Amino acid sequence: MSDQAYFSCRDLHAYYGESYIVQGISFEVAEGEILALLGRNGAGKTTTLSAIARMQDPQVKQGSITLAGQDLTAMKPYEAARAGVQLVPEDRRIIPGITVEENLIIAQISEPKGWDLERIYNHFPRLRERRKQEGVTLSGGEQQMLAVARALARDIKILLLDEPYEGLAPVIVKEIEGIVREIKELGITTIIVEQNAVAALKLADKAIIMESGEIVYSGSAKEVLESKALREEYLAI
Amino acid sequence: MVNSIFLQLLTGLQLGAIYVLISLGLALIFGTLGVVNFAHGAMFMVAAYLGVVISQAEWGGWGMAIVLVPIILFGLGLLMERGLIRFFYTRPHTDQILVTFGLAIVLQEGFKWYFGANNLPFATPDWGSGIMRLHEYLPFLEGFVAYPKWRLILTAVSLITVALLFALLQFTTFGLVVRAGMRDSEMLRLLGVNISQRFAIVFALGVAIAGIAGVFGGPVTQVDPGIGMVFLVPSFLVVVIGGMGSLPGAVLASFIIGLAISFTATIPALANIIVYLIAILILLFRPRGLLGQKGVME
Repeated sequence: MSDQAYFSCRDLHAYYGESYIVQGISFEVAEGEILALLGRNGAGKTTTLSAIARMQDPQVKQGSITLAGQDLTAMKPYEAARAGVQLVPEDRRIIPGITVEENLIIAQISEPKGWDLERIYNHFPRLRERRKQEGVTLSGGEQQMLAVARALARDIKILLLDEPYEGLAPVIVKEIEGIVREIKELGITTIIVEQNAVAALKLADKAIIMESGEIVYSGSAKEVLESKALREEYLAI
Repeated sequence: MVNSIFLQLLTGLQLGAIYVLISLGLALIFGTLGVVNFAHGAMFMVAAYLGVVISQAEWGGWGMAIVLVPIILFGLGLLMERGLIRFFYTRPHTDQILVTFGLAIVLQEGFKWYFGANNLPFATPDWGSGIMRLHEYLPFLEGFVAYPKWRLILTAVSLITVALLFALLQFTTFGLVVRAGMRDSEMLRLLGVNISQRFAIVFALGVAIAGIAGVFGGPVTQVDPGIGMVFLVPSFLVVVIGGMGSLPGAVLASFIIGLAISFTATIPALANIIVYLIAILILLFRPRGLLGQKGVME
């Protein structure tokens, strides 16, 4: 591996309490690249993203995470966020009790900021229409839109998308796919975790397949998409 | 008839006024930091003593006590949060209760050692002493109806404090961060907000409000080392009845409790247990408390 990788995880070991989840994984993402992180339930995908975002859980007991020359490993979650990591969590985590607009304002409390409200609303007119509404009363698709918009409100160096299509109706999935494609066009470096592997692979440049906390495949997204054997063995699709 | 109901109503509000100031701090601290702060009553006690000392000092006076006590308590709160409480955030509630309860006992015994166990007289200022002839202002009252001026001031101060706190939370960015942080502090961290720093300020704010309760409530209650504990238990019940972590719930429950005590005052046996009866009834039908939200402490 080169020392200059834009983003890298090296020999990462992460635990939830006593449970050893991520068991020594190493990978890199180049600037502007989209990496699909695949694998069955319980393979350690979400744990990997949480570790990169430096969440309190899981605990990283070994290894290092670097982004654009900064070592994230010892950072707290808010420091990692300021360093440019933006996690869009699996359950979207729209903050209850506050409006759509307040959910966006919250993302702009600390520097460095990304898109301003005007740009977000121009891009997502639906959010403008609903800006005075409580965030959690939006539909699933709109909440996902808000979660992505909230991330864009920050200056992103790497975007971590955890299951962006989960629990959404097929029509809505199409819409969110469109948003993810735009993120790709904007050149935002992204790691996407998705059960819907085909959807993720179509967008991704590279793919990693995890199983029981280890990386069992690393290569191009196209290769996984085209290899029936790979898909059957690791993804059951 | 109208007179006695009105006076009981006023007394209920005034009792609620002290509970609201203590329980708001408790609810604020629990809602943001998830800490069950059993030392909160002791903060009320410390504030009451400081009120006596400063208001009667040669260099001091009542005006100075009103300004200084909440500020000192704010500082004390910061010190307590940074020096002790923050090490207990990730520990179980039982550990938090033990350490804050321990702190409360240390403070209580320390004040007993220095000031003695007896009640210190806490005289109200000249401008706040005497009575208000309420019948002169309120035409629906019959005959002569008077009420101690200081108790009215206490009630007013309490209501103003509640209004200011809600305005702070509702209309400022700091308030937005705190409100959001009460619901999902981890998400705020993921958005780059150093929420712990702001929560330390919230903790201090909660203690400062207990300070306001101590300095204005002291002349009405008593000033002795055990007074903190006397108010701690009902204040906790208020927080539970209102719904853990809910500020409007704490306000509502404070006044319900205050009014209930006031209206049962003529039946002492009932007055002593009414708080607990209400707690049982409300929790029976609304296990999360009056305005408790799903997911808090569950």
